[in-house]
Amino acid sequence: METRQLEVAGTRTRRKDGVAKVTGRETFSSDVYLPGMMHAVVLRSPYPHAEVVDIDVSEAERMGAVCLTPFDVPDIVYNERTVSIPEKTYRDRTVLPKRVRHVGEAVAAVAHDTEELAMQAVSKIKVQYKELPYVLDAEEAMAERHGARLYDTVFLGEESIQVKNNIACERSIAVGDVEDGFRRADVTVESEFEAQRMYHAQMETKAAVCAPEPDGGITVWTTTQTIHNVRQLLGQIFNLPLHKVNVKRIALGGAFGSSIQMNSITPICVALALRAKRPVKLVTSREEDMYDHVKYPVKFWLKFGAQKDGRLVAAHMKALVDIGAHNIQAYPLLGCIAGWFASLYKFPNLLFEGKAVYTNKVPACAMQGYGNPQTNFAVESLMDMLAEELGIDPIQLRLMNYVGVGDEFWGQGPTVRSIIKSCGVEEMLSRGAAMIGWDRRVHPWQKSGDVVRGIGVARGFHTSGTGGPRPGEVIDYSSATIKVNEDGSVDLITPVMDQGGGTWEAAAKVVAEVLKVPLDMVGISPSDTRTTGYDVCTHATRGVYCGVGAVLHVAEQVRQKILEMAARILEQNPRDLSMERNEEIGQAVIYPTGLPDKFITLGEVAKTAQIKSWGTIAATDSYRQKNCPPCFVTHFVEVEVEKKTGRVRIVRAALLGDCGTPINPDMVKGQLVGGLCRGLAFALLEETAYDKSTGRLVCGGYLTDYKLPTACEMPAIDDIMVGFANTYEPTGPLGAKGIGEAALNSAASAIVNAIYNATGIRFKKLPVTPERMLEALREGVAR
Amino acid sequence: MTETNVTLTVNGKRSSLRVRPNELLLNVLRDRMFLTGAKYGCGIGECGACTVLVDGRPALACLTLAVAVDGKEVVTIEGLARGDELDPLQEAFLDHGAVQCGFCTPGMIMTARSLLDENPSPSEEEIREYIRGNICRCTGYTSIVSAILSCAKEKEEA
Repeated sequence: METRQLEVAGTRTRRKDGVAKVTGRETFSSDVYLPGMMHAVVLRSPYPHAEVVDIDVSEAERMGAVCLTPFDVPDIVYNERTVSIPEKTYRDRTVLPKRVRHVGEAVAAVAHDTEELAMQAVSKIKVQYKELPYVLDAEEAMAERHGARLYDTVFLGEESIQVKNNIACERSIAVGDVEDGFRRADVTVESEFEAQRMYHAQMETKAAVCAPEPDGGITVWTTTQTIHNVRQLLGQIFNLPLHKVNVKRIALGGAFGSSIQMNSITPICVALALRAKRPVKLVTSREEDMYDHVKYPVKFWLKFGAQKDGRLVAAHMKALVDIGAHNIQAYPLLGCIAGWFASLYKFPNLLFEGKAVYTNKVPACAMQGYGNPQTNFAVESLMDMLAEELGIDPIQLRLMNYVGVGDEFWGQGPTVRSIIKSCGVEEMLSRGAAMIGWDRRVHPWQKSGDVVRGIGVARGFHTSGTGGPRPGEVIDYSSATIKVNEDGSVDLITPVMDQGGGTWEAAAKVVAEVLKVPLDMVGISPSDTRTTGYDVCTHATRGVYCGVGAVLHVAEQVRQKILEMAARILEQNPRDLSMERNEEIGQAVIYPTGLPDKFITLGEVAKTAQIKSWGTIAATDSYRQKNCPPCFVTHFVEVEVEKKTGRVRIVRAALLGDCGTPINPDMVKGQLVGGLCRGLAFALLEETAYDKSTGRLVCGGYLTDYKLPTACEMPAIDDIMVGFANTYEPTGPLGAKGIGEAALNSAASAIVNAIYNATGIRFKKLPVTPERMLEALREGVAR
Repeated sequence: MTETNVTLTVNGKRSSLRVRPNELLLNVLRDRMFLTGAKYGCGIGECGACTVLVDGRPALACLTLAVAVDGKEVVTIEGLARGDELDPLQEAFLDHGAVQCGFCTPGMIMTARSLLDENPSPSEEEIREYIRGNICRCTGYTSIVSAILSCAKEKEEA
């Protein structure tokens, strides 16, 4: 194992974008103002399913508005997410549709000098709709006789395929022989589970600003996790050569997956700007944003078979995903659900059968965990049920069966797999048990009174990126450019987006670590698609492992160049030189090994190289990780259930994360605590329910009625305990893996297991609202 | 629509401008003064991202008409630091990892400022209650509460 003495990575530092963020000077997409900029407003469908027969924009145009209708946009059918390889990418949407398939789908858009004028103009547009039958339930949607059919054909790659019974795609994945496995089982447990439609609620609503350039090109600032995929899609849709499409990397006000794709409003904004020949800004309202994307809701049926001693022998999962009106990534999602299921415990025989079904609802897309929190809820609930059936302690059962070092991990469905090389599972289970006081846990039937408490555990993981020995179905590599300035400071130019978790900070720390410069001498350069190589997307918890992995790869090349230049000055061979950080001078220094007094500074090396016309010390390269190591987590939660109100409160929590080397320890902690809050939301609060008679959201697009957690729902500061596993990932940058999505994945499962321990009621449907709790307490069982 | 003259002081600077009767303070700050620290997060007073101080009291700029702040003093996040010297709350947010994506941060800090002006030594419970109208989706609030609490303690000691 390679171990380095780390001096910068692993320390707590103030984030580089911190001062801008606390002084209000950070620029988000909606903060971009350009001379002559117009404001755009989108007209959205009031119907869940309708044909657009005619649109009359004449009155809006008479008001001076620039208008855009489905009849004005390029006829390109695309998928807004282009992370998968083209032949595995389903395509079913256009910039504006001639047939709307959910309430809130964009129908037309206008731009005018001010937002107010644009709003007035949009209200003058007359749309003639022909209403069509709609369906809001996935099971109903598959019925042969149901009149609602969202699509006749869609594209898979370049091929046109028929859509039967609204089924967007199916996947069946088997390992071993599941029937034979169940025959060998002494005990079987099975159950249905249901995870709801949840809204991302990222703080920044989706926004775009587009400036048409004199050369016919465009410059775009938009909420996205991937500037390069946005660039390529815009080039394709608007038939622009890519060197004329520049997408700027800009601060992103949270995403949680909601911007893994090119947002639907981005090409609308571009089309308006190209039409108006003026810059256009489009900022969606909160209501519009809620009608844009949600998390994938999944209905599971799950069965485990085990021997008497607790050894698992077989598992069978059926998953039904209600994807809403567009197939953004349902095919890879089904593969990933299979992978999350297959990689939590060693099932020698398993079968996964997944179906994704279109309904006339808001399109579902990735949301922190990409199917993992949903899958984890089913698997970890059933593990507790099995433990009870077998009379084995839940921790023991997990320790007997977990997938760990030397085992295969499915990082992104069945085609992206690698062998696990670092694992903190055992350590986290034992430390977490001590932190929460597992030994004071008693059976639910030993509790009485109006207020009962319970302790639950769940373990989870997420992949770190989507790399693997073979590329599989998912694109994964990143790029970086690093250059040394003539005063010894360093510019880092990266295409990687930072959702706020600290990816850029980790990148800067790795550069500082390798080049031996103080952290404040590393600058994170503004960048865009013109000045950077490709990076697929900040998704799949790949920012640090893959994005910073590329930064490390390039930093090592720059280090070699520094040594070569210094060797010319010092008249030595590069290998006979040493580099170290000199905090007093505030620079890296280079000296003949053994003679530290004979140092020259990095600035002197770079300046000499410039004066003597040797060149700039810099490197650019791309890098692909050939592994997808799991970052493990373990959640221990203590809840309190008020039987009179049905309210569940989290009293204490122990959050354990195995991210390898924590490059930003305080930010890893921030991810774990934030994950607990969103897990609480998933377990207890949030759901986008629909009004069946209108196809509209019951919450009406209001955050208050959607019920987000506030500061009051979280446990007290001292009641949240955080621990990191002591691991080192040999393939990761300075031993690091990811953490972001993992931080959420088993949080809700632990809460639900704790509720069972408190009440003896097993909740199989989320969220466990006070209403559902009261009903379950009344009836003794949860529906 | 008839425009009205309003005179307001923003971050210590007096300005007069003509506003329409339905014009919102948030739009005046952002679109006309380019003070983009106050954010649009919902437009209807549900998230707190637009919080500013009006005559020392927290106000949701997205629900405040510009005509209503005539003659008043507005402080936005941009006006909190004294030159290069950050407000102790801004320092604390940096030191406690209370900033992730940063979109809620300006509103959160302004609300916290108002709390500490009202009550220099709030308890953890009082802090949570006071900031419950400011939504943060990233942090889980704990680091934010810690940051505010650290300023409260400092005041107590002083």
